Amino acid sequence: MKKLQILGPGCPKCKMLAANTEVAAKALGLDYELVKITDITEIMKFGVMITPALAVDGVVKSAGKVLSPDEIKKLIQ
Amino acid sequence: MSDPTSCCCSGPAGKNILLYACSGGSNVAEMADHAARQLMREGRGIMFCLAGLGADIPNMVQQAKDADVNLVIDGCPIDCGRKIFERHGLKNVQYVRVTDLGIEKKKGVPVSESEIAAVVARCKETLCSL
Repeated sequence: MKKLQILGPGCPKCKMLAANTEVAAKALGLDYELVKITDITEIMKFGVMITPALAVDGVVKSAGKVLSPDEIKKLIQ
Repeated sequence: MSDPTSCCCSGPAGKNILLYACSGGSNVAEMADHAARQLMREGRGIMFCLAGLGADIPNMVQQAKDADVNLVIDGCPIDCGRKIFERHGLKNVQYVRVTDLGIEKKKGVPVSESEIAAVVARCKETLCSL
């Protein structure tokens, strides 16, 4: 199972990235778990300073952008 | 404690700007560090880890790629920061070099507020020219 992690304090763009990630994962038929990480200390453990960020199994794939579902598909396949 | 991360909702002027300072031990390195921290406090960008990029930490390299602008403040013409970014092939980078401001590189001398202010001013000019 892939762990799709949304890093961000919970602003509207963070929520949009989470929603788009879910759309992308479902479209791909992935076996996944979506995890929202909102605690700043936890976010910084990823080395992330700009949010929202998307990580897959702990590896940051994008930071500071709200990606579209199509863009996300390329990163989580 | 204030939020040390920058959400894209409230980033400086709508852009994700990452700031990097020379990490050497000379006076010009100290000025670069002070300037980057001052710029961060003023909301001009988020200070980030030049050593992390030098060490090829994947999560950090990814953020540098995704940033709108990476502003690298090198201390001297050795240009360690510039070389790190060039090695990663990143193009979204602006460079400032402290010694280009007529400040001589020295060891073991205290830096002055006016010198730091000069570096900050050059960085602001660079960012405003984008």
